Amino acid sequence: MFLINELITLLVANLILSQALGISTIFIAAGSKKNLIGTACVITLFTTVGSAAAYAVDSMLPYDMKDLRLLLYTLVTGAMYVLLLTAAYLLCRGKYTDFRKYIHVSAFNCAVMGTLFTINERAVMDSSLFTLSEYVSAGFEAGIGFIIAALILTAAYRKLNLSKVPASFRGFPAMLVYLGIISMAVYSLK
Amino acid sequence: MTNRNKLLFGGILGDNIVLSGLMVISPVIICGDTLKNAEALIYAFSAITFLSVLISSFVPRKLPYTAKIIIYAVISALVYIPVRLAALEFYPDSIGRIGIYYPLLAVNSLIVFQTEARFFRMKKLDMIISLIFCIIGFDAVMLITGFLRELLAYGTINSKIADVNILTKGFAQPFGGFIFLGLMCGGYRFIRAVVSKDSSKTRSGEDVSDK
Amino acid sequence: MLKKARKERHIWLDIMITLLTLELMSYFYYGIRSVVLACVCIFTALVAEIVSLRFMKRKFTADDLNCTSDALILALMFPAIMNYKIAAIAVLFAIIAAKNVFGGRWNMIFSPAAAAYIFVLTSWNRELLQYTAPHVKTGVFETPAVLVNSASHTFDLTGTMDHTDFEILLGNFSGPSGAVSILLLAVAAVVLMFRGSISAGAFIGMISGTGFFAVVTPSVASRSDSLKYSLVTNMVLFAAIYIVSDVRIAPKRNYYAFFYGLFIGIISYVLVLTSAKENAVVIVSVLFTPIALGFKNLEKRIELAVKEEPAAAEDAPASGEEAAVDD
Repeated sequence: MFLINELITLLVANLILSQALGISTIFIAAGSKKNLIGTACVITLFTTVGSAAAYAVDSMLPYDMKDLRLLLYTLVTGAMYVLLLTAAYLLCRGKYTDFRKYIHVSAFNCAVMGTLFTINERAVMDSSLFTLSEYVSAGFEAGIGFIIAALILTAAYRKLNLSKVPASFRGFPAMLVYLGIISMAVYSLK
Repeated sequence: MTNRNKLLFGGILGDNIVLSGLMVISPVIICGDTLKNAEALIYAFSAITFLSVLISSFVPRKLPYTAKIIIYAVISALVYIPVRLAALEFYPDSIGRIGIYYPLLAVNSLIVFQTEARFFRMKKLDMIISLIFCIIGFDAVMLITGFLRELLAYGTINSKIADVNILTKGFAQPFGGFIFLGLMCGGYRFIRAVVSKDSSKTRSGEDVSDK
Repeated sequence: MLKKARKERHIWLDIMITLLTLELMSYFYYGIRSVVLACVCIFTALVAEIVSLRFMKRKFTADDLNCTSDALILALMFPAIMNYKIAAIAVLFAIIAAKNVFGGRWNMIFSPAAAAYIFVLTSWNRELLQYTAPHVKTGVFETPAVLVNSASHTFDLTGTMDHTDFEILLGNFSGPSGAVSILLLAVAAVVLMFRGSISAGAFIGMISGTGFFAVVTPSVASRSDSLKYSLVTNMVLFAAIYIVSDVRIAPKRNYYAFFYGLFIGIISYVLVLTSAKENAVVIVSVLFTPIALGFKNLEKRIELAVKEEPAAAEDAPASGEEAAVDD
């Protein structure tokens, strides 16, 4: 029962279904299983490590300089982008071309940046959340949420792209309506 | 319309960045529920995107792709600061309403990725015209979305009460945004297919997706 | 293909007959208002279906009448005094956004009635979850003076049920106009299962899941009461027949359908128990759509693998013969 409740909480807190963060990326990811796994893993890595870095930024940045937050988050994400590309190049040269694609897609998008800002916003409202562990776990949860949303979309991907779907709605529009109805069900759980 | 004209002016109808490219859709889904929000988002998006792409066009093209992407993102993060400060003067309420979607506009894919793939392959003047039409395309979608969702969900037009009997509160929620945008995308494609007299293609069931 | 079309029509007919008996019971308890509501829903569904089929450049045929069963399911989930405009909007949502956007009856993803019910729940919560008491008959254009919460709502919050078993069996307690006639629903379930008009696996799975959890973690002191009330309240039986076991949505194989239904039953029971979420089963059934699609994808793969196996077996001796010739 505890597990079911936790699952429901994770679904309700899902940043994609409740805040539409990273929708464009998820449409790319859901296209194939390979893309889904690759993008989801890299996004989770970015949100988890990024949230730790965001904690460092937030603890050092004075409140009256909060306008600089975006710039600092961007620099942090940029640094992670370079580090991850370098690591992928050094560690798995054979598959570097594949990895590079996922890193490019995942680095600067709403899923990662939105997660960092959402975590910061929550910490501003509730100071008990302003700890490194809370930041990192929230970042990891956001990544898992991305994976769940991508899986939800992947299950229907083939059906939403069939020729039976009216040409005007085939693909993205049908995906948006599909995610909308799932998001509506999630919303009604609140 | 010639190919060049399509490339320059297509941002509004032919190749709308929201309805066709599915770029910058999170703010439209979440914040596009009232005209006031729409106005604030239009201001922020137009200012940030136009200035960022314009400044980014001076970045040397010989730099590696990764370096260029980071530089574009940093430029837009820098442009965001004065735009936000100006917004505090002109749209003081908007920042609170739009929340985290304000800074997220600065990392939109039009600035970060489309600059490289689309705009910087054009001549400077062409690039500016195309960019302006892309921004107008976003603004138009934002206005239509804000107007209709506000009318359906709150029964008001720009906070003034309109005569609507049944209010569909769901349209003010994120899921309402998803469904509304999905239906709007479908409607847009349908109209585009009719306008371009490409109905035979639609009938035959051939994919008209934007990919 | 012809056989499939005939089967589809038979399913629709079976479903409609059982739904009409429920509608009759609803008329008995709530008067002409519930019949008018059902007519409004059916008429709107027909108009929406015809118009959207024209946009899809398809002809309206007898098979497209299944939109009426979706409309009737929705009408029976509403209180009898539901605002007609809201009902019409809900049906439009069901037929256009939850069905025809995805290709209509050729490519069903969601149960249209379930999706539309949640749409109403999120937009007109109060209108949806307040009912007139049974035997209070409201005129076609009258507004009822007194509205009450459903018996399910009271049970979810307090764990008490002030109705005899006989009343429960006959549906003589406040709730959605057609989803409370337990005896009729039980008969409908048996008939539809034996005629193959609903997914037996999904139905049995759903009832087993809810029942098992109701016994293991009872919501009231007595386990038997917990089992009884958890099956008759919150539209569990109605949703188990017409939404979860919808053959267009549930996995084809009974084995997969059983697990699909089982998990819906368990999760909706837990939701009712922990958060007193009224009619949670409808929400969970929509949330489980990706699971149903996943099972269907798996079934397709298995079918493909089974088809390929004999072909591979035929190829194998041929290659063996070639090898013998080479020797």
